[in-house]
Amino acid sequence: MHTIDHYCYHSGLRGVNAGLKFAYAAATMLICLISRSLAAAALVLLANGILTVKKGRIPFPFYRKLMLVPLAFLILGTAAMILNLSKTPLDSYAVSIGSWYLTGSRNGIRQAVRLIGSSLASVSCLYVLSLNTPMPEILLVLEKLHCPELLTELMLLIYRYIFILADTASAIRTSQNCRLGYQDYRTSLRSFGELCAVLFVRALKRSNDLYTAMEARGYDGKIRILHEKRPVKRKELAAVIVFELILTGVALWIR
Amino acid sequence: MDTLKKNDRETPVILELQNVSFSYDPEELPALQKVNLKIRRGKKVALMGANGSGKSTLFLCMNGIHRPDHGEILFHGKPVEYTKKGLLELRSKVGIVFQDPDSQLFSANVIQEISFGILNLGVEEAEAREEVRKVIERLGITPFQDRPTHALSGGQKKQVSIADILVMHPEVVILDEPAAALDPKHTKIVNDYVDQLAEEGITVLIATHDIEYACAWADEIVLMKDGTILRMGTPEEICADTDALHRTNLEEPGALRLYRRLCARGILKEEKHPPLSIAELERLL
Repeated sequence: MHTIDHYCYHSGLRGVNAGLKFAYAAATMLICLISRSLAAAALVLLANGILTVKKGRIPFPFYRKLMLVPLAFLILGTAAMILNLSKTPLDSYAVSIGSWYLTGSRNGIRQAVRLIGSSLASVSCLYVLSLNTPMPEILLVLEKLHCPELLTELMLLIYRYIFILADTASAIRTSQNCRLGYQDYRTSLRSFGELCAVLFVRALKRSNDLYTAMEARGYDGKIRILHEKRPVKRKELAAVIVFELILTGVALWIR
Repeated sequence: MDTLKKNDRETPVILELQNVSFSYDPEELPALQKVNLKIRRGKKVALMGANGSGKSTLFLCMNGIHRPDHGEILFHGKPVEYTKKGLLELRSKVGIVFQDPDSQLFSANVIQEISFGILNLGVEEAEAREEVRKVIERLGITPFQDRPTHALSGGQKKQVSIADILVMHPEVVILDEPAAALDPKHTKIVNDYVDQLAEEGITVLIATHDIEYACAWADEIVLMKDGTILRMGTPEEICADTDALHRTNLEEPGALRLYRRLCARGILKEEKHPPLSIAELERLL
């Protein structure tokens, strides 16, 4: 979480209007998911890789690690489409196991590869947005899209306090570790339970303190804050439109 | 309780507590018991006392967060109105910088954080943006103004939490243990801010355990114990009352202790105004 946040604030694409990044990610994802075109997915993966690693200056090993997470889930999730246990062999491959076959159909494999490709490309769109846009700017876009205020304010507070809770949890865990709190399975379970309980109490206390501090500055139930202004640049807007047009063309003509 | 010199008595009272009592739990001892206190405009007041003596509760009452169970709080001679409008007015003029910045800073980045208070006062966005820019420049926050609040160091968080309040142009600034958990460099930065505020004529109240600092800085020191005001006076008067200091878990400043020992050994002569700081003692020597 700390790392992602750090990269967001130091990204080369930070200066780009958050709304434009949001629109790019949403439109690209939509085209990928609707078309299920492998060529479109490949183009999106390439474009997003360049945007994130080259333009956004996110280290490649970190990006690769992030991409491997959904890939692992996708491979496991599509295994049922590729692998079948059947008494009759299918048209792609068949490995006999006694009187049964571990087999797969060409159509099934094609579908699985398309699913993996388009899903991975869609996830990369989310990465472009989340690795290059600080959370407050995403929240501003959500506000402009008329997302309920209650939700965006809650997200803002959660975003702020998740780091404090993570630091508190880490400090408590270190303190427990220093006193052999995780020496075996039994003590680990106990220590973890205590950590959760303490964290819950501290979170409650923090929320009370926070409310007091906000009230002291005139809080009346609505969080009013200034947002940074980053106007949309014509060149960037044109680049996004051109890319989406090309992507739509690729998705339509090369399935 | 008012122990100031004649000149100071002519300074108008900005905040006054009359017989203020407050309790968090009716079954337990009150956190504040019949507190009488007059804070005069432009004065530098240090509140001292052991942990749990009621300093923070007193501050929260002054800002209208806690409503006294008994007694009254007057701001510019008028009783505080516990209505939405009355409280907003009070809170716009009496600002608190909390001890733990993490309890105060809630926004995702520095600019958003500082803008919160001033926007709550109903100031237009463009004007608020300008005010935020000014306070950022004034407090030297510019180098880290674009950073997320959770990525700031303890000292930087404290700087931002002071900016949070200053942007609202308060008449009274309350700082609850401003130097707590700060390194010497940031302690100096914060202390310099505090001096600046006082020079600008803002009334400053500080809760501190640092007697040396309080004696060097404050016009008045208030000693608190068990929710009551034990003693109030000028630094000299407070330091002369060793009994009251000990009852509040405090010791007289090191310079004064050394001066008394030197006097006892005949190295120095008793002065009318004994030194309260190392610099004063050095001058004497």
